Amino acid sequence: MLHVTIPPFPPPEMSSCFLDEETFCQCCQLLLQHSHSLCDGWSWEQVKGSEEGYLRKTALGTGRTRCNLDQQGNSSDQHQERTFSLSFHNDDDDDDEDDGAVCCIQEESSSSSVVQYEYHILYSCSYQTPVLYFRASTLEGRSLCLEEVWDSVHPNYRQRLQHRPWDTITQQEHPLLGQSFFVLHPCRTEEFMMPVLKAALEEHRQVNYIVTWLSVVGPVVGLDVPLSYCTQKHQWLCTRRLIDCK
Amino acid sequence: MADDKDVLRDVWFGRIPTCFTLYQDEITEREAEPFYLLLPRVSFLTLVTDKVKKHFLKVMKAEDVEEMWFDFEGTPLKWHYPIGLLFDLHASNTALPWSITVHFKNFPERDLLHCPSNSVIEAHFMSSIKEADALKHKSQVINDMQKKDHKQLWMGLQNDKFDQFWAMNRKLMEYPTEEGGFRYIPFRIYLTMSDRPFIQKLFRPISSDGYTHTLGDLLKEVYPVAISSDDESKRYQVVIHGIEPLLETPLQWLSEHLSHPDNFLHISVIPAPSD
Repeated sequence: MLHVTIPPFPPPEMSSCFLDEETFCQCCQLLLQHSHSLCDGWSWEQVKGSEEGYLRKTALGTGRTRCNLDQQGNSSDQHQERTFSLSFHNDDDDDDEDDGAVCCIQEESSSSSVVQYEYHILYSCSYQTPVLYFRASTLEGRSLCLEEVWDSVHPNYRQRLQHRPWDTITQQEHPLLGQSFFVLHPCRTEEFMMPVLKAALEEHRQVNYIVTWLSVVGPVVGLDVPLSYCTQKHQWLCTRRLIDCK
Repeated sequence: MADDKDVLRDVWFGRIPTCFTLYQDEITEREAEPFYLLLPRVSFLTLVTDKVKKHFLKVMKAEDVEEMWFDFEGTPLKWHYPIGLLFDLHASNTALPWSITVHFKNFPERDLLHCPSNSVIEAHFMSSIKEADALKHKSQVINDMQKKDHKQLWMGLQNDKFDQFWAMNRKLMEYPTEEGGFRYIPFRIYLTMSDRPFIQKLFRPISSDGYTHTLGDLLKEVYPVAISSDDESKRYQVVIHGIEPLLETPLQWLSEHLSHPDNFLHISVIPAPSD
């Protein structure tokens, strides 16, 4: 097991923290070990003919869906013509394309229902962080649209998503499967991970990058991380390895 | 250099003659004529096909019209891929004009991203530019730009304004002289014969001992299948903007001159035509 001692000198200025792909895989494997003991459904999916892979989990949750949609997700009213701009809103004053839709869409026929979620944790080599991909469908197999996913975000987290465009949920192509998924944009990951890693380094604690990261981003999209992930000693990797100190 | 600037213009102004035909099962009030259009290689389908939509809407009832989407020979076309990439990947060895089928029903939810407005295209485009700069400059250049500069990049693409776009984009193409090039090259290699849509990895344009990496070096490292050995006939073509660059071309030069407006080198690896 990885157990490197931290040298006894004051931590130098931390310029960036990044996760290399190898460490990503190791953190994932550790997460998987604990997941198996909890039987909470995480698995590792390997890409054919390569060492790349991702963590996957399906779960039933609640969401807000519209009931007047048919199997293909088409409604009798012209909802496609209604524009919405969930990526750029408050900040973009001069965007006249924006119809001003800021938060949840008022939809009389929307109701709380059981939703099947599928979560994937992939590694982004561009940002050197993990990225959370997910998709959601009704029990009848109809994919949720972005509006419904947005509507399903817990009110506590909606404000966070609204005011920071780069934290928002967008629809993207899954880079390994080529299918449509929703994604939480990864470019601000370093911003919230750095203080955590810095504190851990100063307190001589060890962390699992993936577990820490997931506990921040997961709940936004209905994915909870049980506390035992953080308290299990074998989950930890030396924090020094995760920080690039220049 | 005058020649290099010409390359930038040639890339920007590349066009593909396209014929749009309405899917036969769409419900129309009278027969729909095909619609012909020259598509910009560097733009996106949903950004440049308003005329196509208007044309077919003339023969359809509003209730039969949902989000427009396209297919080529049965394959749904991903609007978030540049048009030139879609053509090179799916149709480069077929006769012109490129024949695309237009749909207004049965949107393939699993395969295609929704595109309800131009804001979504803009968000996607800016997201790619941001990612490219994360690779090239650790996001320093893009983060130093103001919102209006980001807007200028998008407006340049949207309105087909080469000078407006490059006035800003040239900043994203700079690098410290002592480095010799970008930190990593933003590229994606698209495969037709795989479930995986593309390969993207970290790759430096200049090695630590100062060696200039070529297109051939990149392929050898991340997708050696694409390069045939000397004694066998060429099985694959490596295509960028409709041409096959020499494998000896420096990758840094390709990144500066043959990237798409989103600052990525989109490289297609397709089966070579058998004569």
